[in-house]
Formats: sequence, structure tokens, C-alpha cells
Amino acid sequence: MSDATAALNRQDSGYDSPASRRRRHFKRYWQLYVMMLIPLVHFLLFKYVPLFGNILAFRRFRPGMGPFGTDWVGLHYFERFFSDPAFWRAFRNTLVLSFSNIAINFPIPIVFALLLNEVRHVKFKKLMQTVSYMPRFISVVVVIAIMGEILSPSSGLLNRFLESVFGVDPIYFTNEPFWFRPIYILSETWQYTGWTAIIYLAAMTGINKEMFEAADIDGATRFQKVKYVTIPSIMSTIMVMLILQVGHLLSLGFEKILLLYTPSNSAVSDIIDTLVYRYGLINQNYSLATAIGLFSGIVGVILVSSSNWLSRKLSGESIY
Amino acid sequence: MNRRSNLHRFTPADMLIYLIMIAVLLICIVPFIYMLALSLSSPSAIINNKVTLLPVGLNFNSYQEIFSYPNFFRAYGYTFLYTAGGTLIALFMTTVFAYALSKSFLFGQKLVLKLVVFSMFFSGGLIPTYLLIANLNLTGTIWAMLVPFAISQFNLIILINFFRAVPAEIEEAAIIDGLDYFGILRKIIVPLSTPAIATIALFTAVFFWNDWFNGLIYLNTHQYPVMLFLRNIVNGTMMVGDAAGAGDKSTIAMSIKSAVIITSTLPIIILYPLLQRFFVAGLTVGSVKG
Repeated sequence: MSDATAALNRQDSGYDSPASRRRRHFKRYWQLYVMMLIPLVHFLLFKYVPLFGNILAFRRFRPGMGPFGTDWVGLHYFERFFSDPAFWRAFRNTLVLSFSNIAINFPIPIVFALLLNEVRHVKFKKLMQTVSYMPRFISVVVVIAIMGEILSPSSGLLNRFLESVFGVDPIYFTNEPFWFRPIYILSETWQYTGWTAIIYLAAMTGINKEMFEAADIDGATRFQKVKYVTIPSIMSTIMVMLILQVGHLLSLGFEKILLLYTPSNSAVSDIIDTLVYRYGLINQNYSLATAIGLFSGIVGVILVSSSNWLSRKLSGESIY
Repeated sequence: MNRRSNLHRFTPADMLIYLIMIAVLLICIVPFIYMLALSLSSPSAIINNKVTLLPVGLNFNSYQEIFSYPNFFRAYGYTFLYTAGGTLIALFMTTVFAYALSKSFLFGQKLVLKLVVFSMFFSGGLIPTYLLIANLNLTGTIWAMLVPFAISQFNLIILINFFRAVPAEIEEAAIIDGLDYFGILRKIIVPLSTPAIATIALFTAVFFWNDWFNGLIYLNTHQYPVMLFLRNIVNGTMMVGDAAGAGDKSTIAMSIKSAVIITSTLPIIILYPLLQRFFVAGLTVGSVKG
């Protein structure tokens, strides 16, 4: 400990009363409390007032009577959406899309990171990283717009290719329900593979080089080194990432889905979040939409904590 | 490591890896090249499906055209305003908040940290947030874009961790030299934390630049940012020019759409490599805690 802290501590640890000690604390640190003031008010206002605003799920909303509703209706709105087939359709769509997305887009960044880690040419590796992170910074609107042009049935690159090589008739990809899930999942692959791989690459740079040298001495092949050294070393990172993904099962890329949503693919593209948006902001049925949002939020918290608990039991890894 | 790798033979496995990597590289880049080619091609070449990766009938008409539309220019201006204003407010709030929260001896600091972490797992949700912003009378004003999203818990935690890593001795020396906490934050902590702050600035600026949904639900049509402008062109709900006669989707030429895509993405593509070197450093510091 430095002299200055020692001096400060000596002042603090006198025989004086807690009250005078507290006075001295505020006298010394009041500026830090002042700094905290505005952001704290902002934080509580914009993060916690909406949290308590969820009370609207149990209360009737009347326009102009504040955001917390007027009178209690108990579980009325919950009963309403539980008996609403549109809700169950959205619930199923959310789960199906989420699980398929995890099944495809969870392993791909790991494989990509493993392959990139094997690239020995340092400059090429840097270039690959820079280019593959970039799609993450592109707006969803732009991604959807580009896909719209590439997938266009009349002049899109893909349909032209399919027609000239395989003689397939033009497919209206963005309108047909069958293609909605593949389009969503592949656009996520395109946008986030490189970005997610950063975390695995960072974990790989942390592996002790001596482990590879030992494997070399034992005569391990390159593939064996990946299998027995690299993958086990990043296993804890993989577990944590999986927990995070499962925990966010109910929160898909809402904005992207809203952009891809058309009446003709709504049978598969209507997820919980788009349902909340339509019921709440389009039909202005605020209480019902809040109830659905609250339900999905609570399920989300349960998912995060239980997958975290499970992972700690199974592998000793957890995020908190 | 390097010396050894140079001695290595170039095996078939290497060949395969390089082929896959080059494929990935092309998949990342080709969509932009295609957009660029479309935006620089003549309408007749596009209609006749002649354009693939190089412009056919090279011309800059579509760019000239979109720059002559008053509503495109306005949307672009608003995007700059939201990005610059929103990022400045967010950086100020996050830095100041993170600095105070990095001091564990303050009363209530632990409670506030718990509240921050809790709100990452359980948030207010779309409708309560919307109703709050509407009740604060922010809807329909530019403040609905600039103020509510200033504090991101993720960025806050990155910064708190970064500030905690600054040795306490530096601050003690500064106090002895007569600096107060405002001075320490401004003259010592912020300059020392440039990589972390630049990372957060990048994330925040990208968030504001790319936003369209908040614009859609909180703003009036004439305040729309460029991404919402693009979205409305794509789904055919907005005419490109103010005086455009037909609002039909098919009348909006692909070259025009592509030109809007390129111009609205260009600032990010230009800025990104400059800031990229910061964010790897900034991110790894934030994630070490994990």
C-alpha cells in the first residue's frame, strides 16, 4: 500500500464516531456521488421504470391515464393470450427458429475459429479477421435490402444462377414460407460468424504453447492436436457461449424478422416479439402486449438461470 | 512459432483451409461488390440481367439522382445528427457513471452494480418502454433518439472493468498534486482508457447509425433516419423523390436502391478499419472477467 492511502486510512480509523466518519467520507468523495447522480437517474428512469411498467400486464390501459394503467384486472390478459392460437403459433415459431438457429450458427463460428487458427500466414489471418467481422457492423436494413436484390425472382443473382445452371424456375425466396427460416439463419451466419469467432480465437491465443510442443514430441498429427489440445482448452468458452445462447432462446433478431415479415410468410415468421409489436404498437392493445412480453421475459430469465445451473453441475462452468 | 511455421510444409490440409478461407472472404465481400456494380450500371443493363460483379454501362446517374432528392438528404442529415449527438451523450453518461461505479468504497455502489446486472437479464420490454417515452413527451422529437438509449449495460461493464485496472497509485498521486475527481477523470482516466472508450464509441455510433426501429416507433416521417428511408424504399412504402408520381415498388430502379445502400453503408465501411484495432483490445479486456 502506498503512503498516501496509508495516511488516508489512518485518518479514517481514529476513535471518532460513525457519524463524523461518514461526514468526512462525503466531504472527500462528494464529487464521485455528483458524477453518479445524472447517469443513475437516467438509468433508473429508462431501465427500471419500464421494468415496473410491466405492471400494466395486470391492469387496464386507458389512453391519457399514464403508462401504468387504471384498474386491476388480475390475470385477464394472460388468460386471453393463453387461449389465443396466434400466441401459440408465435411461441412455436420462436422455439423452432431459435433451436434451428443455434443448431447451425452455434458450431459454425467454432469451426471457423479452429480453421482460422490453423492459418499460418499472419497477414492473411489478420485480413480474414478484419473482413469477417465487418458484416456485424452493417445495418439489418442494408442486409435485408442486399438479400432482397440478390434473391429477387426477376433479376436476382441467385435466381439467374439457378436458372442458367440448373434450369430452375425463378423462386420468390423472400415471400415463400418455406424459405423464411433458411434465409433468416443464413443471414445470421453471414453477419455474425466472424464476430462470434473472436471470442474463440481469443481463447485459443491463451492456450499454453508447451501443450502443443508436448503433443509434437508425442508425435501427434495436426488433427490430433486440434482434437486433444485446442478443443479441450476452449471447452469452457464453448460452454459459456452455449449457456448464453440457450438463455436467449426467446430473443431472436427481432428487427431482422420484422423486416422479413410479410403476410404470406407469417405462418412461420410471426414470433413472440413481432406479435408483441403488432398487438401493442399497431393495434394499441398495450396491456395484452405487455402481458405477452412479460411472459416471454420471465421464461427468458428462467432459461438463463437454469441453463447456467445445469452447466455448473455438468462442467463446473457458469457465467455468474 | 513464426520460425517454425516457415519450416512447415504446405500440406493438402493447408490447401483446404486456404480454399475455405478464400470462399469465406468472397462471401463477405461479393454482396457489396454486386451492390456497387448495380449502382454504377445503366438501367437497361440491369433489366437485361447483364450485371454480375462489374458495372455495365458505367455511369453515376443514380448517385446524382439520389443526391437531388430532398428527402434523402434530410434523412442522411438526421442520421448524422442522431449518430453524433447520441454517441456524445452516451459516451459522457457511460464514462462518468462507470468511473463512479468503479469505486467500490462508495455507499450504494454494490447495489447499483447489482441493479445494472439484473437489468441485463430482465428488461422492461418494448411496450412499457414505448409508453414511458410517450409519457415523457419525447415521441416525435429528436430527443427520443438521443436520450433513452445512452446507457448500455454491456458498455458500462466494459468501462468499469477498464477503470478498475488503472492503478490506484496514479490517482493518489494526482490527489496529492491537487487534482479533484473531475480533474482525475478528465486528465488521467479518460486518456488512459482510449482503447476502451474508442470501442464503446464505435459500438454506440454503429448502433445509432444503423437504427431504424426506434426511428419508426418514435419519430415523425420528416425526422426519419437514412436506414428507415432505405427500409421504406425497399418495401415500397416511400417514394424516392418527394414528387415521384408512382409509389409502385417496381418503378424504383435497382440502381437507385443500390446507390442508397452504398451511400448509407459507406461511412461505416470507411470508419471501421480505423477503429477496428481498438475494439479487439477493448473487447478482450471486457471479456476477461467472464
